[in-house]
Amino acid sequence: MWRYTLKRLIQGLITVWFIATTTFFVMHFVPGDPLSDARATSEQIRENLEARYGLDKPLYQQYYIYLRNIASGDLGISFTQQNREVNDIIREHFPVSAALGVLAVVFAALGGILWGALTALFRNRMPDVVIMFLVVLGVSVPSFVFAALGQLSLVTLNDWLGVSVLPVAGWGSVQHLLVPALVLGLGTMAFLTRLMRSSMLEVTNADYVRTAKAKGLNATQIFIRHQLRNAILPVITVLGPAIATITTGGFVVELVFAIPGLGRFFVQSVQQLDYTVIMGTTVFYGGFLVFMVIAVDLVYGLIDPRVRVE
Amino acid sequence: MTRPLLEVEDLAVEFDTHGGTVKAVRGVSFALHEGQTLAVVGESGCGKSVCVQSLVGLVPMPPGRITSGSARLDGEQILGRETVGGMRVRGQLIGMIFQDPMTSLNPTMRIGDQIAEPLHMHQGMRRRDARMRAIELLELSQVGEAEKRSRQYPFEFSGGMLQRVMIACALACEPRILIADEPTTALDVTIQAQILSLMRDLQRERKMSLILITHDLGVVAQMADEVVVMYAGKVVETGSADDIFYASGHPYTQGLKSAMPQNQDRRAQQLEPIAGSPPDLFDPPTGCGYFERCPRAMQVCEAHQPPDFDLGKVQHRCACWLHDARATHDS
Repeated sequence: MWRYTLKRLIQGLITVWFIATTTFFVMHFVPGDPLSDARATSEQIRENLEARYGLDKPLYQQYYIYLRNIASGDLGISFTQQNREVNDIIREHFPVSAALGVLAVVFAALGGILWGALTALFRNRMPDVVIMFLVVLGVSVPSFVFAALGQLSLVTLNDWLGVSVLPVAGWGSVQHLLVPALVLGLGTMAFLTRLMRSSMLEVTNADYVRTAKAKGLNATQIFIRHQLRNAILPVITVLGPAIATITTGGFVVELVFAIPGLGRFFVQSVQQLDYTVIMGTTVFYGGFLVFMVIAVDLVYGLIDPRVRVE
Repeated sequence: MTRPLLEVEDLAVEFDTHGGTVKAVRGVSFALHEGQTLAVVGESGCGKSVCVQSLVGLVPMPPGRITSGSARLDGEQILGRETVGGMRVRGQLIGMIFQDPMTSLNPTMRIGDQIAEPLHMHQGMRRRDARMRAIELLELSQVGEAEKRSRQYPFEFSGGMLQRVMIACALACEPRILIADEPTTALDVTIQAQILSLMRDLQRERKMSLILITHDLGVVAQMADEVVVMYAGKVVETGSADDIFYASGHPYTQGLKSAMPQNQDRRAQQLEPIAGSPPDLFDPPTGCGYFERCPRAMQVCEAHQPPDFDLGKVQHRCACWLHDARATHDS
C-alpha cells in the first residue's frame, strides 16, 4: 500500500513538472510580456526593468531559475499587483474556492447518485423521462446562465417573502455558499446522473443480482446491498477529476456571485500576462488535480476490493 | 408411487420482444419426487432454463409472461408467489445455483457475508451466528481453510471454488429442492466431476431433491433418477434414466444419444450430429416441433401435435406418433 502510494506520488510530481514546463514555454511564446502594457515605456526603462526581473536572460536560464524557486516553495511576486507574493494570493483566496468547490462536489455527487439511481429504477417511465430532460438541460446550459437564474430566483424569493432568506451575492457565511455551490455543481450533477443511470442499468442485469434474487432477497435489499455499491464504482472514478474541475472552473460563478475566490486571479493573470501568477496558479491547480486523482484512486480500493493493493 | 414433492402441469411461458412473441415454453408437465434427481435435458434454446426459472419467479416479467400452468410444492401453488406457508419460495424452499460462478457472486462483498445473507435476512439469525454458520457451510461444501476463505472476495477464488461457494449459499436455509442450472458447463472436466459428486453427497445427506438442467448426457447418466427431454419448448420424452438411455422412444432422444461421444470404444468414433436447427419459436409449428429434423417423420407429424404415449413401463412417456398403433413400423 505504502509503496503504491509513494509510486503514485512520484508519478504525480512528474506530471506537475510536465505541467509547469509546458505552461512556462507556452506562456513565453505568447506575444508580449508583463511589461508591455498600455503605458509607453522608453527603450531604456524597459531594458532596466527586464534586467531587474531577469527577463533579459536566455529562456533556459529563466526556466532553470523558475524551477529552482518552485522547488523551494517560492512562486514569486506578482508583476501587476503591488508587493503581493503569489503564495499569498493562493493562501488567501484558495480556501474560498475550495469551500465552494467541496460543497458543489457534495451536491453533485449526492444528487448524481440519487437521480441516477431513480432514473434507472423508473426506466422509461415518467420520473426517468423528466429527470433525463433536466439532465440534458444541466449538461448543455452554461453555468453563468444558471448563476444569473439563481440570483434572479433568490431576489424574487426574498422580495416575495419580505425577508432575506438567502443572500444574493457576497461572501462570509454558509448561507452565502449554498446557491453558488448548487449552481457550480449542476453540470457535474447532470453528468454523474447519466453515468449512474447507465451503470445502474448494467448492474441490474448482472448475474449476481439474479443470485441475490434467488436467495430470496426483496427488491430493496437487492438494491441497497448489491446494486448500489457496484453501480457507484464508475461514479467514484470520475469524482477525482470532477472535484478538480469544479474547484478550478468556478471563476464564472465566483464572478457572478461576487465571491473572492482564486478563479478571478487565474483569469486576470492570463489577460495581463502576469508570468508569476499564471505559473503559480496553473502549477498549484495542476498539483491539486493530480493529488485529487491519486486520493480518489486510493479511496476506490475501500469500495472495490479488486483494486485494493497489498 | 407417493405424491411427488413438486408437480408442474401445463406450464407455458412467453416473451414479448420487438420481433414478436416468443413462445419459449409451450405446455410442460413433469414431477419431482422427494430425494430424487430430475434432469432436464435439451439443446440451447429449447426452453429448459426458462421453464425451471419461471417456477421460482426468476424470469424477468415483463418481458416474460406465464400464460398457463401450475406448479405445486407439497400441494401448494408456488407460481407467482413469494412465500408459501411463511417460507420464502426462493432461498428457503428452493435453492439455486447457476452456470457461471465467476459472475454469479457480488464482486464487492466478502464470501462469508454472501452466504450469511439469507440466514440473516430470512431466519433472523444474528450477524455473528450467521457468519459462523457460513463457515460451517463452506466446510460442508469442502472449501479448505473455510474461516480464512470466508473473509475473502470472489476474485480470490477459482471457478470451481466459487461454484462450491454458490452451493453453500444455496444450501444456507436448507431448501427442499436445489435447482442447478448447468452447474458444471463453465468448469473444466476434473472440477466438473468434483462438483457433481459434492452435489450428490449433499443431496443424499439432506434428502434434498435436485433439478439439474443440462445439455450434457454424460452428467445425466451420472446423476439423474428421472429425465425430462425437452425440445422446442415442449417435453418430448420423460422416464427413468435407464429408460431414456436404454429404451429411448423419441427420435430426438435417440439423436442426442448418437451425438454423444462413447467411452467404451477406443477406436475413433464417428459422432452423428442432428442435421438442421430447431424451429422458430416466434411461430412454432402446429405439428411436432421435431418434424423437420426427424429421420422417421411421417405425414401425420407435420400437422398434428403428438399426444403423450405410455411406453409400457412406469412413468415412461413419449410424445411421438411412432408409438401410435396405426404407425407403420419399418424398423
